[in-house]
Amino acid sequence: MWWKILIFAAMSAVIIAAFMTPSPMNPAISLGDADVYRIFYFHVPQAWVAALAFVLSMIFSIKFLKTRDMQYDTKAVLAAKLGLVFAVLATVTGSIFAKMTWGEFWNWAEIREVSIFILLIIYGAYFALRSALPNAETKATLSAVLSILFAVSAVFLIFILPRLYADFSQHPSDSVVDREGQITMGATVAAIFFSSLAVFTALFAWIYNVSLRIAKAYDKNLPEN
Amino acid sequence: MNLPGSSVSWAAKVLAVTRKDITAEFRTRYAINSILMFALVTLTVISMALGLMTPDSDLMAALFWVILFFAAMSGLAQVFIKEEEAGTALILKLSTEGLVIFFGKLIFNLLLLTVLSVLIVPLFIILLKVTPQNWAVFLIGLVLGDIGLAGATTIIAAIVAKATVKGALFTVLSFPILLPLLMAVIDITKVAFGGGNFGDISTGLQLLVAYDVVMVTVSVMLFDFVWRQ
Repeated sequence: MWWKILIFAAMSAVIIAAFMTPSPMNPAISLGDADVYRIFYFHVPQAWVAALAFVLSMIFSIKFLKTRDMQYDTKAVLAAKLGLVFAVLATVTGSIFAKMTWGEFWNWAEIREVSIFILLIIYGAYFALRSALPNAETKATLSAVLSILFAVSAVFLIFILPRLYADFSQHPSDSVVDREGQITMGATVAAIFFSSLAVFTALFAWIYNVSLRIAKAYDKNLPEN
Repeated sequence: MNLPGSSVSWAAKVLAVTRKDITAEFRTRYAINSILMFALVTLTVISMALGLMTPDSDLMAALFWVILFFAAMSGLAQVFIKEEEAGTALILKLSTEGLVIFFGKLIFNLLLLTVLSVLIVPLFIILLKVTPQNWAVFLIGLVLGDIGLAGATTIIAAIVAKATVKGALFTVLSFPILLPLLMAVIDITKVAFGGGNFGDISTGLQLLVAYDVVMVTVSVMLFDFVWRQ
């Protein structure tokens, strides 16, 4: 109960702070309307949670294959479901930002847009397979194997391809992190950004916990804790 | 049939599985017919749609792999689906260990893709009037691309064979896994059509070799989970 209230209060504080402080835009290198850049406080944490959920889902999948314990399958599915929601949010907010600054909703040369789109396809394929398999154990095993295969492919895509095709990126990375990986944002921006990151992660953890409790209430075979 | 303890080597067992699949394929010709006809139909559609246009070689490289990708998707899943449908999967499971089956099926799929490539490359060159300026680059891209296609999708074929509704599932599941391969291989084919040399494709080549090795290794590690299901 107090979790819910705490997240509500913290999220409200982040939203108010995001709109009451100066824009996080770096006017020296960025284009467009400064207010548009406030989406950074919400878009980046959403993308982070989507990626985090994907990694969690894969870890639970590996744990399932190791232990054959159905509770890990339930956890992997819940993480994937939430990851899908946050990936959609990150795609939509990113797309709006792209339209406002670069003039197009979508651009295939932008490697991070491609990455989030692939993440959406991966989640879609994962659920497509689950709905096509007959019984719970086959479902759990085969989707766990698939999720590991996707994770390997994602390593190639998310970590190798942006480096191969680095010159295409239009992402405003210089305003936050420069090419050497040093954080360049000001103290206020950093404070709001990292609070937002924490709040979104907490929001994810809270929804995940509630969903897990619901799943356990429905399925008596899963252990209580 | 190899009894336990018999002195048949591992490679011979793998080839026996491949040979069994080739014999079965010659009897029904299901996979090869659907793959080749699919490739021919896609090629014709693209060729006719382009009509008198003369698209640049970059677009041609992408179209070439679109044809190969979808043709492969139409038939490569058959290796495992036919075992499940004919009810022979269980006998196969009893006769030898999982990895032998995996590599036997992988080699069979690789042979299918080789036949497909050998037939589709001349047709592509004739109908779409594009010739690789650098054959060595083109062929190494094609060979590594085919190995990657077969290597990464064999385990997906085994997964799809267990599904009740197969439909387009094989394509849907394979696409996210094949995407790094397709991006790298289209890049290499672009260079080959444009007349570049090996210096221009070193990153792509490294990525492709790494991809082929990693995907086959991960499949080997995971195959028993799928096969024993």
